[in-house]
Amino acid sequence: MPIPDSDIIDVTPRRVSRSESLFLPAVFKGLGTTLRHVFQNVGRDGKTKKNIWVVQYPEEKRDDRPVTEGGQERETFRGVHRLNRDEDGRVRCVACFMCATACPANCIHIVAEESPWPDREKYPKQFDIDELRCIYCGMCEEACPVDAIELTPFYEITGLSRQEMIFDKSKLLEVYDRTIDEKPM
Amino acid sequence: MPRITINGKDLEFTKGQTILQVALDNEIEIPHYCYHPGLSIVANCRICLAEVWAPNPKTNQLEAIPKLLPTCQTPAGEHQVVYTDSPKAIANQKAVMEYLLINHPVDCAVCDQAGECHLQDYSYQYGRSQARFAEEKIKQPKKDVGKHVLLYSDRCIMCTRCVRFTREVTGTGELMVTGRGATEQIDVFPGVPVDNELSANVIDICPVGALLDKDFLFQQRVWLLTKTPSIDGITASGDNISIEHNKGIIYRIKPRVNMDVNKWWITDEVRYGWKHVHSDQRITMPQVKGEEPYQSSEAPLAYEAAYALVNRRLAEAGRMALLVSPMLSCEDAYLLATYVRSIDPDAILAMGPVPRHGQDKTFPGSSAGAGFKLYAEKAPNARGVRRVLSKMSDSVLDFEAFTKALQKESSINAVVLTGNYPSDWATGALLAALDAGESRQNGRFVALIDTLNTKLVDRADVVIPGATWTEKAGVFENANGRLQAFERAITPIDYTKSESQIALDLAAASAASDLGLQHAIYNPAVVRQTIASTLGLPEFIQNVHYPAVLGEVESDMALIEL
Ligand code: SF4
Ligand code: SF4
Ligand code: SF4
Ligand code: FES
Repeated sequence: MPIPDSDIIDVTPRRVSRSESLFLPAVFKGLGTTLRHVFQNVGRDGKTKKNIWVVQYPEEKRDDRPVTEGGQERETFRGVHRLNRDEDGRVRCVACFMCATACPANCIHIVAEESPWPDREKYPKQFDIDELRCIYCGMCEEACPVDAIELTPFYEITGLSRQEMIFDKSKLLEVYDRTIDEKPM
Repeated sequence: MPRITINGKDLEFTKGQTILQVALDNEIEIPHYCYHPGLSIVANCRICLAEVWAPNPKTNQLEAIPKLLPTCQTPAGEHQVVYTDSPKAIANQKAVMEYLLINHPVDCAVCDQAGECHLQDYSYQYGRSQARFAEEKIKQPKKDVGKHVLLYSDRCIMCTRCVRFTREVTGTGELMVTGRGATEQIDVFPGVPVDNELSANVIDICPVGALLDKDFLFQQRVWLLTKTPSIDGITASGDNISIEHNKGIIYRIKPRVNMDVNKWWITDEVRYGWKHVHSDQRITMPQVKGEEPYQSSEAPLAYEAAYALVNRRLAEAGRMALLVSPMLSCEDAYLLATYVRSIDPDAILAMGPVPRHGQDKTFPGSSAGAGFKLYAEKAPNARGVRRVLSKMSDSVLDFEAFTKALQKESSINAVVLTGNYPSDWATGALLAALDAGESRQNGRFVALIDTLNTKLVDRADVVIPGATWTEKAGVFENANGRLQAFERAITPIDYTKSESQIALDLAAASAASDLGLQHAIYNPAVVRQTIASTLGLPEFIQNVHYPAVLGEVESDMALIEL
């Protein structure tokens, strides 16, 4: 099918006129926008006209604010993962690979093994999540049939190497231990 | 031809076919568990029941048969009308599914069969989503029933396919049914495990996750595996297989149905015959005698050095010999031989040892799946290699004659050896023969293209890492002279190359040699054409059997418009 002329947009660059080629008017125009925002926000205490909140991170954190004032939705925030433990403190995961299958970023790597416990078939011998590849979409949490994987409200994870940012089973269980008080299962 | 109507479709059939067979031939789906085309028909699962209308012989009026009939067992009759989608038939399908799931643990999340399980599929298509059974489920034990096979009794639906397989195909009859009603179970006699050359086929025919492969247990979920059609690369059977792999690692081998070769089965030997592919004994880097071992970052350098040395020493050698292993494909044989012959037109061509273990064995048995043959010859392509080489040389030496020639003729100054065997093949006789003959200054030049570390590696002057059949494409000729093409399943593990590629690279690096192939990257189709035209072997174009193209599997999930 031929493309109708009305659908064609000519994007050949227009010649810049002599006055435009100095870029001075454009510089002042941009400065004007900046100044407008400065004056608009003077005396508003970090709150813009359009209800967009300014948070002076890292001195101030969204965690400390109410949601209505630009705070974090701690209940549903999708931050670093954790692997939940069951009543006996064992990893809850049954190594079903559902999360790895659902993950759009392909960042969950599981090695399964026969579980050492009589009440369970299978458990993860290895469970690695590449936190750098992860897009924090929460699909894994959605897919898990036994609520073993969850995203926590914590987002300040740092590391000095890529390898460090691949969280293994023990690290993910540690995240559970650290976050269980704030975010119960 | 007589005609029958199934679900509103008017179909032809041949006399003697059952309704289910007619339906399956015409791509009409009727759910079935206990029916397997290779086994006898027992009609015990009852999910295939259908409403059948048949002409009354007296009045010739179409009349409904009052009870539902098992389509797997009922012979198709002239002018019958069959409904598997009538309310009565659907009510039966739903009831069967519900009964089967009463004591089923429904542990799909951890079951290895999930994803290729008939129970899952039919439950989705014909079952109900809610269980109404409020009582305790019966728990049945997990049993170790054989060398390769685990039985999870509580997932079993008592279709008895496995029992019939051991009775009718292998004739060994290890499996049986014990108990009745709710305690009915599959079992083996104490101390008599499932132990025959075909034992792991029961895992494939089990429609649910009751019989599982110990080797594959918990390794991967089946939907993550890519299936590549291939050919048995371990024995001369030419069995059609599918190599199932993920991210460059093979996880299992399954049979591919081919009624002309292996029907539905493969031997355990073939099924587990891929372990050497990922063995830590694989040679992965070219080695040049006297040089420091190359680091993994130096692979191109290592190849360059190895190729240069081989080309130089072969050019100096004068007379040389090439040993082509029967584990290699026809293309490998052709390219290697062409390369060597381009340097020395009279080079000796020989074929590597063809291992044989025991005797050929045919399984007796009574059903359609019986008569499976196990081959004693443990090399996939002895005939193919000979077919190609004998067109290039008047006398293709066998392995014994080759070692004798090395012993006798001291003028043979260089040998190119290829291995690719799944186990150590370096015999003392070969090692002795390599160094036999008149004493010379540097000894005979030995170039080795092989996959596993053997004693030969220490002797060879240059070692180039080859690739197993799973890592390349080519053609094998099986024991019955059938040429079958196989595809590359995984990329060659770092830093190996297929033998064909090595031959092409060697030729490209050499000044003297020109293989007459206009490409530097190995392309099996082009090589087959060249074999056919230059050697006068038209069968490499006309008679190669390619894997059947698998139909696209369409999802039965409704597409949701967002
Ligand atoms: S949050 Fe999304 S991207 Fe991250 S691991 Fe889970 S499924 Fe994968
Ligand atoms: S979905 Fe849940 S149970 Fe399954 S592997 Fe992932 S974390 Fe484990
Ligand atoms: S173990 Fe599998 S093949 Fe054997 S009777 Fe049970 S369901 Fe059928
Ligand atoms: S397939 Fe017909 S009864 Fe089982």
